[in-house]
Amino acid sequence: MSTTAILEIEGLSKSFGGVVAVDNCTMTIREGSVVGLIGPNGAGKSSVIDLVSGFERPTSGRVRFAGVDVVGKRPDQISRLGMIRTFQTPREWRDLSVIDNVRVGRSDLERESLWRSLSAARRLRRQDALDTEQLRELMEHYRLDDIRNDRAVGLSGGQKRLLEFARIAAAKPRLTILDEPMGGVNPVLGERIGEAIRELKKAGSTVVVVEHNLPFIEKTCDEVVVMDLGSVIAQGRFDELRDNERVVDAYLGNDDE
Amino acid sequence: MLQYWTAILTEATIFGVLALGIDMIWGWSGDFDLSAYAYFALGVYMTIIMTVGKAKAPVEYVLGWRLPYLLAVVIAVVVVVAFASIIGAIALRNLRDVYFSITTLGAVWAIYYLVENFTPLFNGYNGVFGLFDPMGGKLSYNAYHYYFFAFCLLVLFLVYLLVQRLSRSPFGRMVRAVRDDERAAAVFGRNVFWTKYRTYLCGAGLAGLSGGLFAAYIGAFNPLDWKPTEIFVLYAAILVGGRGNPRGVVLGSFIVYVGFVEMTRYIPSPAARPELGPALRQILIGLLIILMLKFRPSGLLPERLGTDGTKVRRSWRTWFSRSKILPDPRQDDVVAEPASGVES
Amino acid sequence: MSILWISVGMGLAVAAILALSSVAFTLEYAVSRVVNLAHGEVLTIGAYAAYVGETNFHQNLYVCAIIATVAGSLTGMGLNFGLIERFRNQKPLSTLIATLGASLILQNLLLIGFGGASVSYQFAQGNLLHVGPFLWTTLTIKVMVSAVVVAGLIYLLLQRTLLGKALRAVSQNRELAQVSGIPARRVVMQTWAVAGAVSGFAGFLYGETIGTITPTIGNGFLLLSITAAVGGGLGRPYATLGGAVVLGLVMSIAGTYTSSAYQLVIAFGFLVVMLLIKPNGMFVRGRALTVRA
Repeated sequence: MSTTAILEIEGLSKSFGGVVAVDNCTMTIREGSVVGLIGPNGAGKSSVIDLVSGFERPTSGRVRFAGVDVVGKRPDQISRLGMIRTFQTPREWRDLSVIDNVRVGRSDLERESLWRSLSAARRLRRQDALDTEQLRELMEHYRLDDIRNDRAVGLSGGQKRLLEFARIAAAKPRLTILDEPMGGVNPVLGERIGEAIRELKKAGSTVVVVEHNLPFIEKTCDEVVVMDLGSVIAQGRFDELRDNERVVDAYLGNDDE
Repeated sequence: MLQYWTAILTEATIFGVLALGIDMIWGWSGDFDLSAYAYFALGVYMTIIMTVGKAKAPVEYVLGWRLPYLLAVVIAVVVVVAFASIIGAIALRNLRDVYFSITTLGAVWAIYYLVENFTPLFNGYNGVFGLFDPMGGKLSYNAYHYYFFAFCLLVLFLVYLLVQRLSRSPFGRMVRAVRDDERAAAVFGRNVFWTKYRTYLCGAGLAGLSGGLFAAYIGAFNPLDWKPTEIFVLYAAILVGGRGNPRGVVLGSFIVYVGFVEMTRYIPSPAARPELGPALRQILIGLLIILMLKFRPSGLLPERLGTDGTKVRRSWRTWFSRSKILPDPRQDDVVAEPASGVES
Repeated sequence: MSILWISVGMGLAVAAILALSSVAFTLEYAVSRVVNLAHGEVLTIGAYAAYVGETNFHQNLYVCAIIATVAGSLTGMGLNFGLIERFRNQKPLSTLIATLGASLILQNLLLIGFGGASVSYQFAQGNLLHVGPFLWTTLTIKVMVSAVVVAGLIYLLLQRTLLGKALRAVSQNRELAQVSGIPARRVVMQTWAVAGAVSGFAGFLYGETIGTITPTIGNGFLLLSITAAVGGGLGRPYATLGGAVVLGLVMSIAGTYTSSAYQLVIAFGFLVVMLLIKPNGMFVRGRALTVRA
């Protein structure tokens, strides 16, 4: 495991009209690791993701991703640096076919130039066709091959989760942030998702997982960051944190789950 | 009879170009734009005032350059796109969905009243006119109309090829991804505003182009005869043909436009009640819009799904099942939602 | 006596009618989450109903007002039953487009029924009166007084009645209200009846104030109502009321210095500025409404 940091968050704060959601949050994510981000409800996990990925602007603090200061950048600019995040519900492009969802995920922005779409349409179509081989392998892997030509809106919840992973795998990000990937997922599919996360790691992506399912976190993650009341209260290996008093307090003392 | 059909088909052809433009904004990009009329009308105005001579009192208008027709159309399209770039920058920056529609509705009526009342620009509610002949007066009246129809058909065909090419390109795919879920599109590196903006300008440009064609066809334009409601027929046409499918849109424009003109021909329109025919026509358009939205929102030819190239056999049953309306569970966070309720 | 005060006085009269119309519009949005583009036609129907009443039952101002109110109410209920409820599970944009279709239908039915030429009421305008710095006719004063009374009735309805309470609950969350035992469908229908009644009455007042009615008077008033509602706070009656007053004043003051023909242009400018600075309305606190990816 390398020791270079891919994501450095320093003194990050965000308040919504007086309510402090994130309070002086500091953490470092090392490249190549799978990190679980846990904490009781309302601890500010999702807010941190929104701030890091550019969907919200922090009140103060710094976020460096891959050596670049990303505060104030738009989500798409941050994404082009190599960060992909998910949302709590799967967000497929509903009226695109499944394979087109993965194609858009593959994200070759050059190919989508308006001018080239008009002037070099045939070449672009050939390139798309060449990709199809590769994409079908990917889709087979995520059990989407049979439904590749269907509209994404008709997929089941589990298929939509898998489609999301297929999209991310096609995009080959440097950092993947998953917001509750186990939400509403049955145990069998849960296994598959854990496997998908390990595959992402193998493919070279750092992964941050926000999840309430602690056994899942224990099994999947190299390291855990615990948040409470908007700031980080502990960071380390899962078994180290089991005896950490603050963590136990956060989960049991003022627990509302 | 032949002349009659030529006239109707010419109009349908011109409106086909406009419908393709509106569909890029509404069908591909998902922004229901009510200001398309403004771009169409501006295209007509610009083309007319650039091809006729200087205004003589009491008629007032700007320019009057006596340019050749084709050059005038090109400039008109450029002007329309420039104008749309302002409206689009305002409306698309932060506003989506119904808020976008409200803004464009406000814009179209404000522009309408401005043009109607501010005479120095386009001669106010009297409108501008100038029956000119783009082909230089070498042809007889009838022959000119046949040639002009052929010209419009050629333009529609070329526009269709370009639009279809764009629709099936990676660009078209990206635009639709942004339409379906713009946050997810941003997560995958797409600049949402820029994507929508470019599509908007393309659509506005086509509206301007159809205005340029219409200028030559009708030779006169005034706001009293050409209210924004006149092009609502195209929203019906797009719904009938199939939103997001260029082939369907062209088909829909011909079916609806020709169908409506033909139907209203047989509605008795007594001299005392000249408004009866057009009014019935508008009622039918309103009904058609509602019924299509309710029962078959994807139209006769639904938007084409991008596949992996292998032929997918679809039975006739899917033609019906496609019309099923699937509720959007996420509509709350996609839609701008200002008020969670009445304050207590 | 400055000309500014006179136009502000006229502005208040327009603002009073606008307030009713836009509150009705906002109530429709509150319970059905629909931007009703056929709203202008409900006003127009009210205005024409009063006209029919006047020509047929002889000209009692109050009878005509009641007729306009009832006609508006019926139209509102009809729209809700025939259209809005049928599009309930669809995207808000589909419903908006459907109401655009309804607007076309209603407007042209009026055109067929009454012709395109304008008609006018025969009510006496009354005397010119100086009230403080303002110059009003007795009819204008009646218009304003009745608008204020109706606004007060709406306030009582929202605050003091069971329907008002249920309406607020439904506007927060229809499904939740439904499972809490509130007959949501009926509440929505009653709200449309009220909104329609208020719109019909506003249409009557508008017809009285401008003197002539045509099938298309609703177009401009729809735009103004949208502007007032969005400017003040869509879905929030009191915020909308504030928006209507501000818009009425802005238009009349601006109208003093430019031609009144540009009033809608000014209104649109106002709408755009509002949407750009404070998209969820000037009288609503909280975060911006827009979703920017």
